[in-house]
Amino acid sequence: MNPKDLRRLVYYSRNRVAGAPAAMDETIRGILAASRTNNARIDVTGALMFNAGCFAQVLEGPEDAVETTFERIQQDERHGEVSLLAFEAVETRLFTDWSMAYVGASQADAARYGDVAGESGFDLSRMTGDRLCAVLHSLALEEETAAA
Amino acid sequence: MSALAAPSLSIALPFEAALAEMAAPVLLLDAGGSVVFANARAAALLACAEPVGLPLPALLAPFDAAEPEVDPILEAVRAARPVRARLTLGGDRRVEAALVPLSAGGFALTFEDVTEQLRGAALARQEPLTGLCNRVGLHDRLDAALTEAAGTGVPLAVLMLDLDRFKTVNDTLGHPVGDALLRKVAERLRRATRSGDVVARLGGDEFAILQVNPHAGVEQPHAAEALARRLVDLVGRTYVVEGHMLNVGVSVGVAIAPTDGQNADDLLKHADLALYRAKAAGRGTYRFFEPAMNAQMQARRGLEIDLRRAMALKQFDLAFQPQIRLESGEVTGFEALLRWNHPERGSVSPALFIPLAEEIGIIVGIGEWVLRTACREAARWPQAASIAVNLSPVQFRGGRLVETVMNVLAQTGLDPARLELEITEGALLENTDSVLDVLNGLRALGVKISMDDFGTGYSSLSYLQKFPFDKIKIDQSFVRGMEGNAECGAIVRAIARLGASLGMRTTAEGVETATQLDAIRAEGCTEVQGYLTGRPMPAAQAAALLSVPPSTPPATLPA
Repeated sequence: MNPKDLRRLVYYSRNRVAGAPAAMDETIRGILAASRTNNARIDVTGALMFNAGCFAQVLEGPEDAVETTFERIQQDERHGEVSLLAFEAVETRLFTDWSMAYVGASQADAARYGDVAGESGFDLSRMTGDRLCAVLHSLALEEETAAA
Repeated sequence: MSALAAPSLSIALPFEAALAEMAAPVLLLDAGGSVVFANARAAALLACAEPVGLPLPALLAPFDAAEPEVDPILEAVRAARPVRARLTLGGDRRVEAALVPLSAGGFALTFEDVTEQLRGAALARQEPLTGLCNRVGLHDRLDAALTEAAGTGVPLAVLMLDLDRFKTVNDTLGHPVGDALLRKVAERLRRATRSGDVVARLGGDEFAILQVNPHAGVEQPHAAEALARRLVDLVGRTYVVEGHMLNVGVSVGVAIAPTDGQNADDLLKHADLALYRAKAAGRGTYRFFEPAMNAQMQARRGLEIDLRRAMALKQFDLAFQPQIRLESGEVTGFEALLRWNHPERGSVSPALFIPLAEEIGIIVGIGEWVLRTACREAARWPQAASIAVNLSPVQFRGGRLVETVMNVLAQTGLDPARLELEITEGALLENTDSVLDVLNGLRALGVKISMDDFGTGYSSLSYLQKFPFDKIKIDQSFVRGMEGNAECGAIVRAIARLGASLGMRTTAEGVETATQLDAIRAEGCTEVQGYLTGRPMPAAQAAALLSVPPSTPPATLPA
């Protein structure tokens, strides 16, 4: 396989950022800023969903770039128990940009992170359109319940 | 002006011209440390067009930025004594400077470029694939750290690491993927450690970490435990390598200096012992060295030494346990069981020595002896009863198993149809396809193949589908559990039905009571083996049992 061929990687993991909302807030905004810069540079797009329980992410891009990005994500101490759900060759991207959004039922968190989705252009319909992404979406919701 | 620079000297012999043009960089200093002479090489090396007249501190000032390397030289000038010191010059050149006080007054300061030499030494301590330290480098760093720790009294930790399941990656996807994975593992190890710690690759999938710089306020052994836990988590996370999703784990053994050893050899050995225990504990975990491990390892080594010579000293023996057909009560055959009688140890449990024999590889020779001896005995029996022989998963790896069985059959003259080779699911776990090839090769010789200890392993049902076993032996834990536990009964029943529908016979193992025997019979097993129907017995007794006329119901089987 050509290292430039398009790949989609889907994973979800447990959020290990300690409970204080301020710390969580800082982390989330840090991730958004860092991912935007890094991912644009290497042509990786995708979406990150998060809540107090988990991160759930779709990464799309050239095989080597996705591989490098995922390796960096794996080394991150802010999450653990990473479940890699898919790493497959795809024809086209589901996400043409990089976005992230709070996905969950907590009213407080929804209010806190409401701007993140709007600002980053997160489109939930893209999430629920693809079968695997839909699974990821519902997994994220379950994880939040489990963490609560 | 120093005497050496006096014009009279250059008249007698061309010393000054020689000094000026010689290949080695030379500076002459007056007693106060100011430069009175510099040859062209020295001026070039120090990147100074006009060194003469400059005080030494001013000349060397540009190279003192990183570390105070210059201080020892200045100090020696003040004290008028010789010194050798390493300096880092521009462009990362490393030189060794030698200052010598001259009898006529002043100093000679010479420089030797050691950049290449140091680079060579560094390379000799580096492992090329990952760029980590190698074993030699680790030893050096550990020695240095121990010397420092002896002064400061701050404990340090040595962690030995072994990847779990790495061989499978290498075997199935090839070395390029294996190498790429090792580089990723190395990168994660670097990430998990702090600056000052040393990460080394000792070869293959073995790594080591020297932890000298834990987070402030975290003391040993807590720092080492936190690191070990982090490593098990981090290294165990899925890798994506060249389009493949890969999973390996890591086992970690930890030793702390000075408690667990005060020199490099002891520490590495003790960390290794702890690693061995981490692996024995199921891998993907960490263990700290404990002094008891030394004693246990000594005991194991003692057992290993005895086991290695047991064959030559003819300490092995076979016992034969009858297998009874439930329908008729007749003896259909025997299973050959290995016994080790050691003059001092007495009878050593197979549960103790067989795993060790497998680990050190001598199970192949022992297994061949068992096969040969069992077939020779069976060939002499008055009836064509079957003889069951256990095979270790290790025996499948050498690629010679089919040939060995063929030779044994030819030499003993045993009818291949009477030989039943028993394998466990463990044999099929690794390299299933090559093991299946061997099984088909054995089947082609005409021997029968049984699945032993069924139900205790992994994906049993898929193996039953992959190879048409002649017999399934139901693990004794289910048989023993039948009396008090309805689920065990259900499992035995399910296996018996499964066997019947797949055309495989089923043997219930470990039957000890009449109640168990009744239950086994009710569930539809075809054969039974256990203390109730016959304990393991010497060869002669087994032969005698077969001499009992078949019309007489054997006394061994209660109705």
